[in-house]
Amino acid sequence: MVKVRHSLIAALGILLCAGPLGAQTPTGTVTGRVLDRSSQRPLPGVSVGVEGTDNVTVSGADGRFILTNVPAGLRRITASSIGYAALQQDVTVIAGESANLEFMLETEALALDALIVTGYGTQRRLAITGSVATVNADAANVGVISSANDMIQGRVAGVHMTVNNGEPGAGVQVRIRGGTSISASNEPLYVIDGMPIDNVPTEPRGIGIDSDPPLSRNPLALLNPSDIESITILKDAAATAIYGSRAANGVVLIQTKQGSPGAVSIEYDGYIASSTAANTLDLMTGAEYRQFVQDLVSAGETRLATRLANMGSADTNWEDELLHTGITHSHNVSFAGGSQSTRYRASLNYMDQEGVVISNGFERIQGRLNAAHDAFGGRLRLGLNLSSSHMINDYLPYENTGGFEGGVFTNMVIYDPTRPVMFTDPATGEEVFYEQFCTSTGCTPQRLEQRNPVALAEQVADEGKTTRTLGNVTAAFDLFPGLTAQMNLGADRSNGIRRTYLPRSSPVGAQFEGRARQISRDLSSLTLQTFLTAQRRLFDAHDVELVAGYEYNEYSTNEFGAEGQGFSTDAFGYYNLGGGNTLVKPFSWAEESKLVSFFSRANYSLADKYFLTGVLRYDGSSRFGEGNKWALFPAISASWRLSEESFLQGRWFSDLRLRAGYGLQGNPAVPPYASLITLGPGGNYVFGETPVTGIAPTRNANPDLKWEETSQFNVAVDWGFSDNRFNGTIEYYVKNTSDLLLEVPVPQPALVATRLENIGKVKNQGLEISVNAPVLTGPSLSWQAGLVFAAERNEVVDLGGRTSLQSARASGQGQSDTWTQRILPGHPLGTFFGPVFTRVSTETTAAWVPGQQLFRCATASATCINGETRQPTGADYTVIGDANPDFTVGLNSQLNWGRFDASFLVRGEVGQDVFNNTSLVYATKGAVLQGRNFLKSALDDGVGIDEPAIYSSRWIEDGSFIRLQNLTLGYRFPLPGLNLRQDARAYVSFDNLLLLTDYSGYDPEVHTAAEGLAVRGVDYLNYARPRTITTGIRLAF
Amino acid sequence: MTIKRTTRRHSMDKARITTAAFCGLLLATQGCTDLSETPLSAITPDNFYRTEQEVLGGLASIYNGLQGSLWGYYNFSEITTDELIVPTRGNDWFDGGRWLEMHRQTWTASSPAAEDINGTWNNAYTGIARANVLLGVLPDIAIANKAVVDAEVRTLRAFYYYMLLDMFGGVPIVETTEIAERPRNTRQEVFNFIESELNAVRGALPLQWPSDQHGRMTQGAADAILASLYLNAEVFTGTVTTGGLQRGTARWDDAITVADRIINSGAYSLAADWHDNFSPDNHLSPENILVVKSIAQAGFGWNEHFLYRALHYNSGAGGAWNGFSTLAETYYAFDTLSIQTLPVPGTNRTADILISNDERHKVFLAGQHYHVFTGQPVLDRAGTPLFFTPQIQDETQAAENEGVRIYKWPADPNFTGQWHGNDVAYFRLAEIYLIKAEALNELGQPAAAMQIVNMLRERVFDPDKPATETTQAEVRERIRKERLFELAAEAKRRQDLIRWDRFTLPWAFKAGGDPWRILMPIPQTQLDANPMLEQNPGY
Repeated sequence: MVKVRHSLIAALGILLCAGPLGAQTPTGTVTGRVLDRSSQRPLPGVSVGVEGTDNVTVSGADGRFILTNVPAGLRRITASSIGYAALQQDVTVIAGESANLEFMLETEALALDALIVTGYGTQRRLAITGSVATVNADAANVGVISSANDMIQGRVAGVHMTVNNGEPGAGVQVRIRGGTSISASNEPLYVIDGMPIDNVPTEPRGIGIDSDPPLSRNPLALLNPSDIESITILKDAAATAIYGSRAANGVVLIQTKQGSPGAVSIEYDGYIASSTAANTLDLMTGAEYRQFVQDLVSAGETRLATRLANMGSADTNWEDELLHTGITHSHNVSFAGGSQSTRYRASLNYMDQEGVVISNGFERIQGRLNAAHDAFGGRLRLGLNLSSSHMINDYLPYENTGGFEGGVFTNMVIYDPTRPVMFTDPATGEEVFYEQFCTSTGCTPQRLEQRNPVALAEQVADEGKTTRTLGNVTAAFDLFPGLTAQMNLGADRSNGIRRTYLPRSSPVGAQFEGRARQISRDLSSLTLQTFLTAQRRLFDAHDVELVAGYEYNEYSTNEFGAEGQGFSTDAFGYYNLGGGNTLVKPFSWAEESKLVSFFSRANYSLADKYFLTGVLRYDGSSRFGEGNKWALFPAISASWRLSEESFLQGRWFSDLRLRAGYGLQGNPAVPPYASLITLGPGGNYVFGETPVTGIAPTRNANPDLKWEETSQFNVAVDWGFSDNRFNGTIEYYVKNTSDLLLEVPVPQPALVATRLENIGKVKNQGLEISVNAPVLTGPSLSWQAGLVFAAERNEVVDLGGRTSLQSARASGQGQSDTWTQRILPGHPLGTFFGPVFTRVSTETTAAWVPGQQLFRCATASATCINGETRQPTGADYTVIGDANPDFTVGLNSQLNWGRFDASFLVRGEVGQDVFNNTSLVYATKGAVLQGRNFLKSALDDGVGIDEPAIYSSRWIEDGSFIRLQNLTLGYRFPLPGLNLRQDARAYVSFDNLLLLTDYSGYDPEVHTAAEGLAVRGVDYLNYARPRTITTGIRLAF
Repeated sequence: MTIKRTTRRHSMDKARITTAAFCGLLLATQGCTDLSETPLSAITPDNFYRTEQEVLGGLASIYNGLQGSLWGYYNFSEITTDELIVPTRGNDWFDGGRWLEMHRQTWTASSPAAEDINGTWNNAYTGIARANVLLGVLPDIAIANKAVVDAEVRTLRAFYYYMLLDMFGGVPIVETTEIAERPRNTRQEVFNFIESELNAVRGALPLQWPSDQHGRMTQGAADAILASLYLNAEVFTGTVTTGGLQRGTARWDDAITVADRIINSGAYSLAADWHDNFSPDNHLSPENILVVKSIAQAGFGWNEHFLYRALHYNSGAGGAWNGFSTLAETYYAFDTLSIQTLPVPGTNRTADILISNDERHKVFLAGQHYHVFTGQPVLDRAGTPLFFTPQIQDETQAAENEGVRIYKWPADPNFTGQWHGNDVAYFRLAEIYLIKAEALNELGQPAAAMQIVNMLRERVFDPDKPATETTQAEVRERIRKERLFELAAEAKRRQDLIRWDRFTLPWAFKAGGDPWRILMPIPQTQLDANPMLEQNPGY
């Protein structure tokens, strides 16, 4: 799209000034060289052409080019290459002579003249008055990048990204300038080639193994990262207001690569990667466990005498049995080319990713075709972006939250290490998975509360498949010089299916005699945008641009599922639901919603020194109450380019800009029909001995339901030295979110205990600093470094009079309804609340005996002695932690030395607390009384074996960390036997190579699935994060 | 109808897109900005409750709250008393301390147990709200049995108010569907409302439903609620201050009148075998008056069946929770034939197992535990024979075999998942007799009361063992014991202890409680949602 727009403006220029060219004009030649401005290295493969003609060539390995048959006269020559800002130079061509030109291209991020996509159009970087960051996709596309999100991580200040866990294809949580909403979505709006994406899971949830199933995987996986040209992140209200009601959490604009005029270029890039778990939990081995029980029995613990006698003889490390080296490979082929009037790029990608845990993975095949055509001498410009992807998710049956029993990870921790993985069934002589129902007479499958985790992983089949097609067509037509009408029509359709089978032979399927389920989910969204753009320069120095348009979005979801139980064989798997004796009632639901908008933007600039932007967007959503469906989102912003003022000109700064902006944004993330009373099946009862399906209200009406509104104020300084080779930005912002969408209890009687209401206020403020600097520059050695820093403070200002809301339900046995966080006015979201642990008692008093956990207590009583108690009550609960970091930093660096290149990315977060829910539940020796294993850290904690797991400050840990996220080493080499535009690069890349932290769990960077509102920083049995080594090659012909 | 609707929708889709395209050309039309919503897979009350079948669906959802009451209302009626305790067993059942808090009576409006208190409040009020929706549309629809449905719904609503009255005292009385902040009505007003509603509608209710409608509200059910209301009138119309209860007016005569109305209605008789009232096919029992219905089918039974709360993981009913136990003092309170002292496997201790000639003592599981279906001895999770001991050494660190279990509703051999077919009676004829006996004794007729008591004892003792008390004070104690024996674990204990001024006395694992704890606190969640609510004294 960038390229389309480049040529759009170029074509416009011709229409406005050049006039028709003579057919018989004499010609001359233009020769020259293209260099990288910072490294001074020659740039091969740069497209160089005469504007307004099909006369295009490409620079060679030495950066040189020759353009022949250039009509004589004043000509504008354009040089463009991916990752660099296009550059134009005017040259006078004299018939029969050769003119010489040298192009010094700047990487796009630095060039002030570069056009930045800002939503419904582009703007020159220097004219942007809002907070906008760009990521150069080529620089960020290193290591195993399975999703576009990976390219943002650590590279943009104020963008915080957490991958859910180490699962292949895992979802990500992206926060731009923090979460502002408590219960509505905090995810940004993604816009791919102008199409807003409805970023909801494309696959239904699976069957949980006695607790919640794994999270849905990343819906953005539909994009092939190799197809991405640039990512633009709109952070403040001034930049995002044009997206109005969907913009409160920021906007991520993704542009895919387009073809450029010239000879066909063919590219292959591929890699193979090997991943292993970066960290393990320290569990008791079989020998240690046996010894532990032996010691207890010797010490007089009679309850374990039988267990000791019945212990197994194996020494199984269940974690080792479940982990393996996961191999990922990816292949990407693309070709691109075209003439000045028709350009295309096509690509095909295949990726197969194995998890570091056995029996799960992610596979994707994806194709894309982007094409553009200019007609009527460039007055009409057409574009097509079309991609289709097929994704196969092989899920591991583990649990994200959980209670008493569990899936793979719970059982990995608790399963008796003295038991073997496999067992020879004496009845049949066959090797089967060992389960507790196996005895000397054979194995009789039945429900068990402890399950062989390897068997769970291997036996339970849980698969998701999604086919998703995303496409849009664009048309731009110049009605008059300076006035363009544009249209963008797009559709996004996905079909996802989730199929699960719990076999008869497994302790989780035995109780159903096999349980098979299929659920399909169809999502479709339709977008139509039409808008007019007018551009005019008035009185020499005044530039005005106006955009006005209309947008229509329609969304629909359909889900259908059916389930069979009671199979006589496991042979049908999930394919033949009717093969079971019992069919569970099928279920289905459907919903639709619409979003309709009118938008306009005005840009004004005076002498490239003073800039002013105003935005108005009027959005209407079907999801809100009558009378509150429409809302207006205005924004205004301005910048002043101090460096152009005479008092600063020629001094220190090559660029110095002051920006300020203010605007309103909305968050419409409420489900459809949220304002209406609806009735649905529910509240069953029995009359006689006959079941009657009840019809019960499922929602209270709230005709006042409206938008969650965020106002944001942003002030920034952009600076650059020595031709902007040193540059950076300092920004400060305040975000106030009011009318929070909160599901709150309503006065009773009410049909449902809670209702979605607009209540309360949250405030975010933050400081963002980013610096780019060349450490070294030279023709053969260059070193560029970038630093991003962000500090954010979040505060709940008001909860509509409520004193607090409970959040973050703890997971695990004995933790039912234990809330670990509270949303409290005056405190940030993610505030841990509970008793303060003081120590483990070693003495006997009236209130406790040795080995019991003691907590701080406020009021002296029979159970509160010297400020300590073992029965903390409500009054003893207090704030015990904050899940938000004090600040985050990212440091990226790129080194080029001759043919070698090296880059690294380091990220750090400091000061956040993490609740180690895994330790709370599994670092308890009492597990031995239930025949369960536990974490070795419990061995010497002094706690008695009868002491329950009690949530307290004991389990809140410092989660600060520094991570070497990526290190890549590359080498460029010429391909033998080919010349001209050949380019080959081989690289080796390391992901998650090093993690420095005091945190005792797998990884302090946690995604939280715990139940509750705005939960942050809870770690429970996550899928281990991998450490990955990738080797790859990229060839371009 | 569905097909028509789909077709219309389809063409609407096309129309909308075309309209949108025109809007795009800035030709503003109505369609450009039409944002009206029509739910697809859900319905709105505007187009529902029009046929008898639809009304039945609405009715089922109101009855459904009875099942919900078997968690919150049931647990508070039992765990707060000497009938049940949920000890912490290693990593099991700590749950933030809520269970011990219930037993120790140390809850507050926002402590861990407050969530259960809130659930109890919400469950009753959801039933009331659903009833109000149906009562609101009933006048406008034409169905054959409108008067009966009206009476049935109002009886159910009165029963939900009865639960609120019992737990919280005065609560807002609401008969409309509007969500609004409202002050509390007084306890007397709620009492009067329940009484007048039941008296107004009982005449319209059938004496009995045909067997395919068994379980719906009857005259007997309405009378049973009234009988209990009158039995507890002194409490229910009394005033609670931080000093405790100031009793209201007694209604013993009314209790007897209503009890007699049930006894003489001809609709009920005592089951020959006492256990028939609890068995999986207990819908056949002639004794049960107001029941919570269950069948052994997923989604239609008692999923959180009491037997799961009590039984051990290895008991054989498809998993269980190994939680709720009774106190030794309650276990030993029954008539004793002999005591067997047995060694407790895996320990050096012994346990005293009580052998009783009272059939009703058989609900207790003590000593070696046996698989509920096969009868085979059960092992605990360490592989030791599972032996339930009456004594619990330490309620904060109980072993998995400690505590006698109450197994009154035996597992259904046809159970599905964790769904069993046993109905649970909130009122059965035996209690109506005991209500009458208590009222007679309080009115100075101990002999007549003892006649009733011994009629009930006759069924459960073989050979017969009539009680012999004579004075009013003695008979009062006898009736109190019989209510424990007869109605153990039937959600009566809290109410009974409050009526007898014993709720805040000390018993095992509980120090003496504050006198104002006879009322539960209004949960903080509700105070936040409705600032017009005033908290109960003491909290």
